[in-house]
Amino acid sequence: MDNKKGIELIKLEVLGCINEKDRESLLKMKEADENFPWKVLAEYQNLIALLPLTLPLIYPDSDLKDKTATKLYKIRDEIKAKLDAKKPKEVINEPLIEEKPVVKETVLEEVEEGVQFKGEEQHLDEKVPTLIQTPVQEKTVADSPKYNVEGKDTATVKSVLDRELIEKITRDYFKSYIEKELEALKQGMKKNRLLSLAFFLFTLVLIVVLYFIG
Amino acid sequence: MAESNTLTDAEIMLKIAGYDSKALEQLYDRYAPILYTLIKKIVTDKETAEEILSDVFVIIWRHIDLFDFKTSNVYTWLIMLARNKAIDVLNRKGGKVTQDYTDEYEKEKIIPKLSPETEATELNKVLEKKEKIEGALGSLTDAQKYVMELSYFGGMNEAEIAGKLKIPAMTVKSKLQVAIGNLMQKLSEGGK
Repeated sequence: MDNKKGIELIKLEVLGCINEKDRESLLKMKEADENFPWKVLAEYQNLIALLPLTLPLIYPDSDLKDKTATKLYKIRDEIKAKLDAKKPKEVINEPLIEEKPVVKETVLEEVEEGVQFKGEEQHLDEKVPTLIQTPVQEKTVADSPKYNVEGKDTATVKSVLDRELIEKITRDYFKSYIEKELEALKQGMKKNRLLSLAFFLFTLVLIVVLYFIG
Repeated sequence: MAESNTLTDAEIMLKIAGYDSKALEQLYDRYAPILYTLIKKIVTDKETAEEILSDVFVIIWRHIDLFDFKTSNVYTWLIMLARNKAIDVLNRKGGKVTQDYTDEYEKEKIIPKLSPETEATELNKVLEKKEKIEGALGSLTDAQKYVMELSYFGGMNEAEIAGKLKIPAMTVKSKLQVAIGNLMQKLSEGGK
């Protein structure tokens, strides 16, 4: 391949100023040429990304963070679906008979943790017994009879779990704002107290001075 | 919070991949100013810039799986993502892009595809290069700087730049190539 031509096209691509014809030939080079200068592409991508550093820094309004959090909350269903898709389907080899009743709260906690931290989700999976006693059935953790709450319909329980999961995703996000707001409020109260004290002392001194003048 | 402040950008991205919302907040705190600065330069309007910035973080949250954790070049990925999104909004407003904004479109046109041979880059390391890049940019001719600005921040293609400057498109192309080549050379010299 003509490496020089490739590099010249790379320069245009990283600037976002490449016409369709050049874009196509660059794409072909990327796909077909085993000697494509990937390292050069990486260097130019990094170089161009430095350009914003030359601009005077502007800070976005502080409430934009809250607006972003609201947007994230709105896409909770989509994220939930992604989380569900990430849960590995597993083979459970255990009797279908309910072993012992499990309280609802425990189930909620376990599933919440499983979704929040991938590692723990895998740990949950490891708890599944491996003894073959009944024909093999494909099930998810939430579908397991172990998680059936006192004979209640699994779908009902799952809907409760789902709601909890969605809330979990956004809860932490909002929590930190509240903490910050509280901190700011405390600081404000502290300042007010000091001001009141100073004002009180000033008034006291004024009264004493007026008394002696009088 | 003190612990999360010590996390590298790549570690934060890993936590985001586990849908850790606090990690996303941490990334926002770290990157919002530089991304907002870039976006504001491109679209100029404050409200639009704010909208784009929050959209960028939604994209990160939704498509974190498209980030290459092998190379973990967080800085360049985020800058390219913000630039692509801002240019797209600019082009749509100007009627240059009429294609529907679908999930596929976002994956194809907005989410950056970095070279597989890129290296991990973090904001704190990049900030150390601020003076160098300013110096290197200062060494370019005014014409070179101008065409680069029209292209990178203005989102103009070579035909548009050619029309604006009343010069042939081939000249625009070669000016851009020389400008970025010189910039790379000056930066490399400065790094020695």
